[in-house]
Order: sequence, then structure tokens, then C-alpha cells
Amino acid sequence: MAVIAGRPTRGALLPPWFTAFTGTRGGALAIFVVRRILWMIPVVFFVIVITFVLMHLAPGSPWDKNGGRQLSQTVINNLNVKYGLDKPVVYQFGLYLWNVVHFDFGFSYQYEGKTVTTLIGEGWPYTAILGSLAFLLIVPVGVGLGVIAALRQNTRVDYATMGFATVAASFPNFVIGAMMVVLFSVLLYQWTGGQFYLPSSNFGLDDHLVLPVVTLALLPIAYTARLTRASTLETLRQDYIRTAWAKGLPERLVVFKHILKNSLIPVVTTLGPTFAFLVTGSVIVETVFNIPGIGRAFVTSVESYDYPMILGTTVLFSIVIAVANLIVDIAYVFIDPRVRLT
Amino acid sequence: MQVRTGIRALALASAGIFVVSACGTSTTTGGTPASPDKQIYRVNDGTEPNSYDPGQETYTYEAAVGRNVFEPLLTPKSDLSDVQPAAAEKYDVSSDGLTYTFHLRTNAKWSDGQPVKGADFVYGWKRLLNPALAAGYVDPFFDGTVAGAQNYGSTDPANQSAVDSFLQGLGLSAPDDHTFVVKLQHPAAYFKWVATLWVGAPIRQDIVEKAGGGAFPSTDATKAEVWAQSKDTIIGNGPFKISEIVSKDHVTLVPNNNYWGGGSKLQQVVLDFIADGNTAFSDYKTGALDQINVPIADVTVVRGDPNLSKEAHLLPELTVFWMTYNTKKAPLDNADVRMAFSKAIDRDKLVNDVEHGTDKAIESFFPRGMNGYDDSDKAQSFDPTAAKALLQKAGVTADQLNKLKLLTRNTTGNKTLNQFIVDQWNTNLGLNMSLDVIDSKTVTRNIRKGQFDIYGPDGWGADYPDQQDWADIFTSTSCHGLNFGCPTLAGYDDLVQKADTEVNQTQRNTDYAQAQKILIDQAAVGFIFQQYEYDLWKPYVHIINGPFDDEYLPGDQQYKNAYILQH
Repeated sequence: MAVIAGRPTRGALLPPWFTAFTGTRGGALAIFVVRRILWMIPVVFFVIVITFVLMHLAPGSPWDKNGGRQLSQTVINNLNVKYGLDKPVVYQFGLYLWNVVHFDFGFSYQYEGKTVTTLIGEGWPYTAILGSLAFLLIVPVGVGLGVIAALRQNTRVDYATMGFATVAASFPNFVIGAMMVVLFSVLLYQWTGGQFYLPSSNFGLDDHLVLPVVTLALLPIAYTARLTRASTLETLRQDYIRTAWAKGLPERLVVFKHILKNSLIPVVTTLGPTFAFLVTGSVIVETVFNIPGIGRAFVTSVESYDYPMILGTTVLFSIVIAVANLIVDIAYVFIDPRVRLT
Repeated sequence: MQVRTGIRALALASAGIFVVSACGTSTTTGGTPASPDKQIYRVNDGTEPNSYDPGQETYTYEAAVGRNVFEPLLTPKSDLSDVQPAAAEKYDVSSDGLTYTFHLRTNAKWSDGQPVKGADFVYGWKRLLNPALAAGYVDPFFDGTVAGAQNYGSTDPANQSAVDSFLQGLGLSAPDDHTFVVKLQHPAAYFKWVATLWVGAPIRQDIVEKAGGGAFPSTDATKAEVWAQSKDTIIGNGPFKISEIVSKDHVTLVPNNNYWGGGSKLQQVVLDFIADGNTAFSDYKTGALDQINVPIADVTVVRGDPNLSKEAHLLPELTVFWMTYNTKKAPLDNADVRMAFSKAIDRDKLVNDVEHGTDKAIESFFPRGMNGYDDSDKAQSFDPTAAKALLQKAGVTADQLNKLKLLTRNTTGNKTLNQFIVDQWNTNLGLNMSLDVIDSKTVTRNIRKGQFDIYGPDGWGADYPDQQDWADIFTSTSCHGLNFGCPTLAGYDDLVQKADTEVNQTQRNTDYAQAQKILIDQAAVGFIFQQYEYDLWKPYVHIINGPFDDEYLPGDQQYKNAYILQH
């Protein structure tokens, strides 16, 4: 056998126990996960670079007010010294990276004496709870509606489901939120004389959650339902499904074992970003229902040029999105045996 | 004071909104107070305070907490004619007008039971003037008055010995526990009003240092603010104390039973931070809030509702809006052209069509309800014929004028209002002008650099009801702070300077009146309207709403005399 000289085969220099480990399915998965996590470091670094550059390129300064009397130059100079903005931008960038490596994300400009870590710690739990609950609603309802519509294609069930999905996808959530507030809070309050209604604002682990979670989930449900329907219809036309029907398998078995497993692959692909989108907060839902979450905090920080807060939340969001995508990739392995980890 | 933005459609952020009640129209008559367990008052404060350190507070929604938790030396009288005692029982002014001696109440206590001392005021004011802490409200109120503070701008905030010697050199002292003495740079009759500002609150050194982990250098801005992060270390001398802070959601105040004036009837004041006006409106309708500011879009809904309309109150604020002309740019350097624009706006139609009558037209500078209000000068009154004649006299062509753009912040309120104004100019002057709508931060950058033709609406809300707080805006030394148009006004600077340092109030009034006349006659800016607050509160809320008895409405309200009626 001809041997190509010079280059050892991959992994040849590694100890045998290591190659034995990576050769197994579990081992390969572990290596894959570790590698992807290490890849997150350059990803986060570039996110910081891009955010930092864009932030400083935007016109205006954090101390400009949106109308009325502007701060005097004296006070602005003192503020610049206080927050290190009097230093050269490159120095500021280096210092920021150095601090981030030490898990120090700095002090917010907006909230006197509060660290970015404190602000994120205050807001993110609310957003994460809302987002997770909405996600738990989306998967069964969205997939369920999609499958039902596909199995009963061109019947009233199909038209009703897809009609609902079209309406839900077409209405922006500030309209849906506002309409639900009027219906379930204000009108219900008036009709029942204050006996039964759903609170329209603030956060609480009780009926306060109903309206924001539903508003948040509605659009992804519609989207997931349409996607599931389309992909299920495609799967239904496959030969092996016809075979499954032909050999007399019960419907339950055909649907869950043969159809769903295949039709869910594109759905899973979108669920990762959907989850990331949900737990990083919806500004509109948080504003309409007055939830003290991170989505609104992020937007206010952008509006007021609160540099450390913008960077801190952007880093958090990029990590959340990277992790969600990683989980999706791992999920593929279990759903589709053809997927190989590299 | 910076006005909250967003609740009202217009983006004004300026001085302290003083809400005054003309003729006491909105006073709720007294009744039987409800039982203590029902003394809970829920209001919408709109936005979370950026700080609970009164020295760092600049917006109305911050002072709403600061004014109730801390008490400054003096407070305005209900008719705004003068100051009245607050933390200080009385004060004396030396005959040269340079030394103010405040005699503190001997029975005044902090919320932890310690006595309020003169040294606490010295410490609070030195924190305010510490360049390293960069307090927004120090300029011009404190660095322009307190002796030694004129060096505020030239002190390097990073240099500890420079900061220490600057603070040492300030004219602030406490000869004994019950006296606080302030020496001034120059006589300033308005200084008694500066002493009413919420930022001039006393601060406890022992608490600040304990929270910061021991004594720290004057240049350490981080340790200096640790105490203001927790309700347990926010110890105040005001009628209320903070019992709960839920970030971005609400803050709860409870009576400070150590307050010299006794505990208040209200057992809880909950200030919600609801940014969306419609959400607050829904909460008001379901009873989750007792008081709100009505969003402009819902004004007609409230008026048409038989119940809500009875709970609505229209309260004048000491806030005036105007259009700014760039006087450094032809043809707006010509006063006749500026006057023509000012005379071509039908202000009554504007406040009715755009603001649903919730604001009131004004053609002068000092607002109604404040010392110095005088609307006798009609130079800027609506008169399209005279306006056209002025343009002809100035010899400008329509082509020249059509090139001028009205710089507009990208918010619905500003766009609607400015579109109306441009339409007025186009109709009444036969022009074809247009808006230049850009994002707010860029607008601020451009106006500070003088890169605009006409900009508006911008305005001012009183920090205190003295003309000095207003007249200083348009001096030539204050260009680009709020005086973006930077007009050259012969005699104006001298008049204002004279009135600011004059001790005789009658003479001051005369000088300020003359200064106002210059602003109007030279069309330094085009005055448009005075802002009013359109509020809803439940019939069972007893608010002594004025005239201006410290009881400002949301944002500026003091709750010590308010209570819930039996219902």
C-alpha cells in the first residue's frame, strides 16, 4: 500500500485512549461540544469589536439629552473623567476587554453606581421565565396544530388552523397585546364588576403571566404551525409512509414514529433561534405589560448610549444564541442518524 | 429639572416642572379619611429613578422620590410668592447679601432616629460640588453661587489633592449642630430658591462611608454611591422613607415616623414605573392605579366618558415651549424675518388641533402662575398680514426661505406638532418649507454645533419660580446650552446680570420685565405654548392640589398631606 510521507494521520500523535474515546459516538459528541464552546470565544470577541465600533461611530454622546437644557461642558468633562471616556478609544477598548476577561462588565451610565452585572441580574430572570414559558407553549401547540392541519389537509380543520396561523402571524404583537389588555383586563373587569379579569401590567408568578406569555407565543406558534404543516405534508408523500400505512400500522404509530421524527427536522432548526429570541426579551411585550425585563433595558440602554450596558447585554445575547444553536445541532444527532458531527 | 419624556408626546427635557393650580380649581374638598389599612396610594411615576442619591437626581420622576425621602432647607410657598421653612426653621441674610445663615429645626430627625445636623448639610453640599461625582444639577445653580465654587470647572476631578483643596475652600460651614452657613460669590436674591432644590439635601457621612466600606478618597465616585443602592442605607430626613425597591417595577414609600412634622396619613405610596401611557390608562380603569397622566391619544376618550371626565384635572405647569431660530445664519439673522415666522403661527389652533386643548397658547417668556408673567407685549401675536409685510420689509425672497428646514426630533409628538407649524408658515407666508426629521441624538449634536436653520419645539420648565432661572438661558455666555439660536441681544446680558445680583425685588422685577421684552421684540425665539398636565385621579384621593402647595402632580408630588377618603 502506498504511504503518503510527511503527514501523520489525524490523531496519530494523540494517546490511544484518547482516540479510542473520540471514536465512540458519545466521545465524538463531547469533543464536538467542547470545540463549539471554545469557538464561542472568538465569536464573542468579534461581537464586542463590532458593537464597540458601531457604538462609538454613532453620532452624539451619552451625555446629550433628548431636548431641553443640555449639561454644561464642565459637567460633561467631569462625567468623561468619571467613566474613563477622556482616554483614547483604543485604550478604552483594551481596558474593557481586560475587565471582561475578569468578568467585570463595568458600571452603567444611566443608573448611578449600578454595575451592568447587577442590572442584567435584575432583569434577565423575568425575561427568561416569560420566554421559557412561551417556548413551552409554542412547541406542543405549534407542532400539534401543524400536524393536525397536515393530516386533515383541505378540510375545515386545516382551513381553521391555517386561518388562525395567518391572522396570528399578520398582527404585530403590540396590537395583539393592546387588544388582549382591552378585552381581558379592562372590559372583563367592567363586565364582571371587578370579579374576574387578567392583570394587564407588572410581573408576578400568577395570573400576571397569562397575557404576556400568550402575546409572546402567538407569532412563533403561528410560524411553527405553518412550518410543521408544510414539512409534514412533504413527509406524508414519502414512499416509506405509504408503506407504513399499507402494512396496516395504527395511525398513532405512523404519526409519532414515522412522520413526526422526519417532519420535525426543519422545525427543530427554527426552534433554536426562536428560543434565543424569546429569552432575550421582547421590547414590545415588556413595554405593553410593563415587565421589568432585559429586553426593555437593552433598548433604553441603546437609546441613551449607555455603552457598558449595551456591550454587556450584547455579549449575553450572543452567548445565548450560540448556546441555543449548539443545542439544536446536538438535537439533530438524536433525530436524524444521517447527521455526522465534525 | 429634566421633564420626563415619552409620557407626553413632546420630547422636552428641561427644568423642574412646577405644577400650579390656577384659582385652586382642582382642590378636592376634605372628607373622612379611610382606615389606616386603606391608606395606600398608587401612582404612575413613569420611569425608574436613575439614582436614589438626591444630589444625582435631575428628572421629575427622580425628584418624585427624592423630594419625599429627603427635605431641603426651604420649600416654595403655596402661592409661589416666596419660600417657607422646611428643614430650616428660618434663615438670615447678611446686609451685604453674601452670607446666608440657615437655622435648622432642633427637633428634626433622620429616619433612623439620629438628629439632623448642620454638618449633614455641609457634607451633602460638598458631595454635590465634588467634581469627581459630576452631579448634573451643580451647574449653574451651585457653582454659580457658592463662594469658591467658581473653580468647579478648573478642578481636575481625577486629582485627589486638587479636589480636596477645592472642597476645603468652599464657603460652606456648620458653626454648630443647628446652623448651616453658606457664603456666596456675589449677592444673589434668588439663592433662597436654590435652597429649595431637592438636590441640596443633607447627606449622612457615617452612612455613606459605612456602605462604602470605610472612609474613601474624595475622587472615588464608585464607593460614594454604594449607599444609594439599598433601601436599608437610604436614610433620609423627609416625611417618607423607602420600604421596597423593585428595580424597573416600583418603589414603595412608607411614613418616616421620626419626621419632625409627624407621620403622614398615607401608610403606603407605591410609585409604579409604567413607561407605556396606554398600559397605565388600563391600570387606572381597573383600579390598579389611583392616579395617572393621560396620554395625548386618550384625551378625547376621557372627555367622552361620563365617569372619567369627572376625575380629570387640567393643571398648568411652569413650562413654556418655543421655536429656536439660528440667528447666526442668513436670513434668520434679521429680526424681522424671525418675527415674521413668529407671527405666522396660529397658536390657539395649534393647541386645540394638535394638543386637544390640554396646553395653552403663550406669546411671552415667563409662564402664567409665576412671578414676572406679563402678556401685555403682543409683538409675536398671530397676524399673517403683518408677517408678510415684515418679510417684504426685510427684502427676502420666497426661494431663500424655502431652503430653510425645520429640524425635528423623530418622535410622533414632535413630528405632528412641527408639521402643523410648517403648514402654518406655508399657508400664511405663501412658502413651501419642509421638515428635516432625524434621530434625537443627532439633532442634539447638530443644535449644539449650531448646524440647523429652525429647531423646535424646545422649552424650559421652572426649577423654582424666580425669573433668574429663566432669564439666564438667553445670555450670550450660555449659547448652546439651551440657547441654541444664540441671538445677539443689545443690553440683555447687562440687564440680566444686574437683576441676578440685585437685592431689591421691585428693581429685579422691572429689569427682568425689560429683558423679557427684548426677547419678545427681537424674536430671539418664537414662543408657542405653555404646557399643562392632564391627569386623572380617583374621587377618593384627597390631594391638596395647590395652588402649588408643594403638591405638584406626578413626578413632583409631595404626599405628606394627601390621604385616601372613605369609599
